[in-house]
Amino acid sequence: MILDPVHVAGAGMIRFGKHPAETTLETMGAQAATAAMRDAGVRAADVEALYVGHVFGGPVAGQRIGARIGLAGKPVSNHENYCSSGATALREAWIAVGAGLYDLVLVVGVEKMTDRVKGGVQPDPNDLDASIGFLFAAGHALSARRYMADYGATREQIAAVAVKNHAHSVANPYAQYQKPVSLGEVLGARPIAEPLGLLDCSPISDGAAAVVVASRAGLRRLGIRSAPRVAACALVSGTVQAGLGDVNEEDISRRAGAEAYRIAGVAADEIDVVEMHDCFTIAEIVRLEGLGVLPRGEGARLTEAGYTSLGGALPVNPSGGLLSRGHPVGATGAAQVCELFWQLTGRAGGRQVEGATTGLAYCKGGSVSGTDGASVTTVILTT
Amino acid sequence: MSMSDNSFRPDVFRAEPPTLLGSHCGSCGRKAFPPREVCPSCGEPSLGDPVELSRQGRIYSYTVVRQAPPGLSTPYVLGYVDLPDDGVRVMSRIESVRDGDVRIGAPVALDAREDPGQPEPKRMFVFRTGGEPA
Repeated sequence: MILDPVHVAGAGMIRFGKHPAETTLETMGAQAATAAMRDAGVRAADVEALYVGHVFGGPVAGQRIGARIGLAGKPVSNHENYCSSGATALREAWIAVGAGLYDLVLVVGVEKMTDRVKGGVQPDPNDLDASIGFLFAAGHALSARRYMADYGATREQIAAVAVKNHAHSVANPYAQYQKPVSLGEVLGARPIAEPLGLLDCSPISDGAAAVVVASRAGLRRLGIRSAPRVAACALVSGTVQAGLGDVNEEDISRRAGAEAYRIAGVAADEIDVVEMHDCFTIAEIVRLEGLGVLPRGEGARLTEAGYTSLGGALPVNPSGGLLSRGHPVGATGAAQVCELFWQLTGRAGGRQVEGATTGLAYCKGGSVSGTDGASVTTVILTT
Repeated sequence: MSMSDNSFRPDVFRAEPPTLLGSHCGSCGRKAFPPREVCPSCGEPSLGDPVELSRQGRIYSYTVVRQAPPGLSTPYVLGYVDLPDDGVRVMSRIESVRDGDVRIGAPVALDAREDPGQPEPKRMFVFRTGGEPA
């Protein structure tokens, strides 16, 4: 079926970071939700449904948030796809509004991690990889070492992703760090999973982000004349990797990109700005290659050359990305869409990509032993 | 499958002698690890019984893990090991016999090691450098 046009009518988030224990998941989710509703000019009474993405929030976190912000009694659903939970919640909202079920809904991504996650995130304990000591940092280290061997990329080129994204975050008031780091600092940081060090890894963070999703009728109800359109919200899962192929083939990213381009009717070379799931430096490089926006094996060199920096040919992560905005896992997908909304409405301040009319957000969550990942959500926003 | 050899995951590994278990497709003949009910290559159902995989492999990539959640003592080496005889790639702990012998392309051989992460001692699979079965 063809979905009716679906728009983002407003966005709001709280600054990501390490928040004190008394700043609960419910508090953060309610703050981001309230900010997004105020931005869109929608009252709680007019929000028809709430979609919440989270991983560690426990049962019915969405209803706990909804009860605080006047949405008790409405349809509330909770969505878990590990680090792409927030993006998956958005996808469900996009489908429901596009199908004509609702005109105005709220999407919240939220996570409280710093009081419950230590030393890095792992797959479910029942997954074989987790039982032998696999961590996401280790998986990306395996990717990085092989990428360097296969393409002649240097450690410095991979580290350039962190330098770039931290430089971008200086102009993002919602980012956890907001301060530049030097190449020397990235290379000299404490090793986590060699060759990756601490500054190659996104932090363990708390935070929340929210968007109001609207049909055309919903926009009219709010008196909004134009708003960015969700031209696609694609979802794929990983496939079992048979045989001895290239671990950096990124077929899952290729499929996630192709599905979003198909739905949106947009070509890869029409993308003006990317919010990329840079949970680790190397991940930004290989995923951009998988999406087809950078040539295979060239991503590290192009990053070092400034191609993906603000002012470059294809700015990637003007927000600072996960590396510098922070990575409260269930909130990340929603935060990426907040950033694209601000970029496409010219509200991104010192990190504005001039003239951006088409943006892509890529959010990846989880892993399953022997596959190339668990879930990837790709969102295309257009003006 | 017998639990008597103390394998940490009897569905994928026999500790005595150390043996990885894969699935085998009756249609296209390819193997998979960990075992799958459906062949990842052609989509046909796998044959019922698991097959023993080769004990000889080569390191495809590796990392030294220096930080991990509580319960995992660091450092340790984790890697992808290719089993060319089976066309299968296995994620595994790797243990070094001599300094510097963990590298891309290095031959490794399957063995069993104590799994310290379990409340009762269990045995998990490991590949050791040197290339010959221990």
